[in-house]
Amino acid sequence: MPGLILFAVFFIVPSVIGLFISLFQMYGFNFASARFAGLTNYINIMVEDDTRKALYNTFTFAIVTTIFKMLFGLLLAVALNKKLFMTNALRTIFFLPAVINTVAVGLIFSSMMHPTKGLINRALGAIGLSALCQNWLTDPKLAIFSICSIEVWKWSGFTMVILLTGMQNISVDYYESAQLDGASEWQKFRYITFPLLLPAINNALILSIIGGLKVFDVVQATTQGGPGSATEVFGSLIYKSFGTGRFAEGCAASILLAVIIGIIVLPTYRFIADKEVEQ
Amino acid sequence: MTKRKTENGILSGVLWIISLFILIPVFMVVINSFKSRTEAAEMDISLPSEYHIVENYSQMMQEGGILRGLMTSCIVTTISVVALILICSAMAYVFQRRNTKMANRLSTLMVAGLVLPVQIIPTYFVCNTLHLGHMASAILVLIVINIPFTVFLYTGYLKSIPREIDEAAWIDGASGIQTFFQVIFPLLKPVSITALIINFMAVWNDFSVSIYFLNSAENYTLPLTVYNFFGNHGSDWQLVFANVAFASLPVVILYLLLQRHIIAGMTAGSVKG
Repeated sequence: MPGLILFAVFFIVPSVIGLFISLFQMYGFNFASARFAGLTNYINIMVEDDTRKALYNTFTFAIVTTIFKMLFGLLLAVALNKKLFMTNALRTIFFLPAVINTVAVGLIFSSMMHPTKGLINRALGAIGLSALCQNWLTDPKLAIFSICSIEVWKWSGFTMVILLTGMQNISVDYYESAQLDGASEWQKFRYITFPLLLPAINNALILSIIGGLKVFDVVQATTQGGPGSATEVFGSLIYKSFGTGRFAEGCAASILLAVIIGIIVLPTYRFIADKEVEQ
Repeated sequence: MTKRKTENGILSGVLWIISLFILIPVFMVVINSFKSRTEAAEMDISLPSEYHIVENYSQMMQEGGILRGLMTSCIVTTISVVALILICSAMAYVFQRRNTKMANRLSTLMVAGLVLPVQIIPTYFVCNTLHLGHMASAILVLIVINIPFTVFLYTGYLKSIPREIDEAAWIDGASGIQTFFQVIFPLLKPVSITALIINFMAVWNDFSVSIYFLNSAENYTLPLTVYNFFGNHGSDWQLVFANVAFASLPVVILYLLLQRHIIAGMTAGSVKG
């Protein structure tokens, strides 16, 4: 059982130590100077502007990306579940961003979202919509949404694949009998596809929410939490506190994130699992 | 019937237009990595007036520490993936075949590992206390964060292998370990391929763990060299793009070759098995 030992040493033990450290006030791993601080670190996260911003951004990010990933993923899956000209090539293309590493994706979009020379603003200018040109990554109000769109670009294809497999597991018989009863395309989707797809939707949703709350790499690769703390999220906050030696606060943030994920994910899962129908 | 055909034609047209949102950025990276410095700084998608392929790529290789990055990535990925396959297939076998309370509790614990983020700072502390090197720590942590998913992958597949096979091996006098490695493990080949590819991609592309543990130039992995290369050469877009293209190439090739397995695995893991 070497696996269990590894898992214990590198996952469970750190979680417990993390909980412990988060209750203290200390600098570096200098336990001699540590003083018991109770919940101070947690309170600081709630109170300080930077960290409140991170809390807010993390939720915004998780919600916005989940909505759009599910929406685009579902639309693509429905469209690509039909036999079209070169369906497989299209599926391959739509899934491609999911295999490119996030740093590369971050750099590609840093270039495309460049305020003056970026491809996005130029394209908007070219079709006469220069009014819509934005400082995508440098405008503090907009930056977090720009990052959301990068995440959606990267992962919609992944959601699509999960849903597509779910759809292909639905027996054709249902559609045939619906056809005989004269059901419209929308009715077929609403009363057959959707209910039977719930397990797959559930999984895609949960993965998306977890991924959204844990976000770090795409932020680090594009804005590093800037400008100021406009795009700070939990992941980048933890990384910063690590870099500056404020380990206790980092641990507190990390534990808080774990608790939030637990609180959100479990009820969501239960809620949807209850509605599933047996096929 | 003809109406349906036109509808489908329009639909695939629309989808191809949408796919440009993915293809154009990819094209932009490739085409700009061939341009001269001034042309690449424009960051557009016009064709270069003259091609600087060899020049750009060799300059990028020299300055970016790319080869060392490639080396580190290969080492880290190979060790992690091989270890993951061996460890997780065995763990899943034990969990799935034993119906004891302990085994069930441990499986529940795995779900927690699947959902909750790893506590990275204390993990760093643990590695520090154990006097593990940077590379060893990174490999171990990368293994651990991928354990839960891989175990699930194997558990799902093991359900389809009848217990009678185990029993037959027992009767022939095989020990538990022999049964697993000589009888069961070969049967797991399809799911092992899936696990191999998925973990390969997860570890190869990892950024969130390696940025904590592999934080000095001599042990950057490929994604980290890209990240730092951009920091130092932010204005040499032709080199940055060459770098991005080079770093993404191995995974993209792997994806195009093995996409059937990748997609099968992604879904086997996420749509519960």
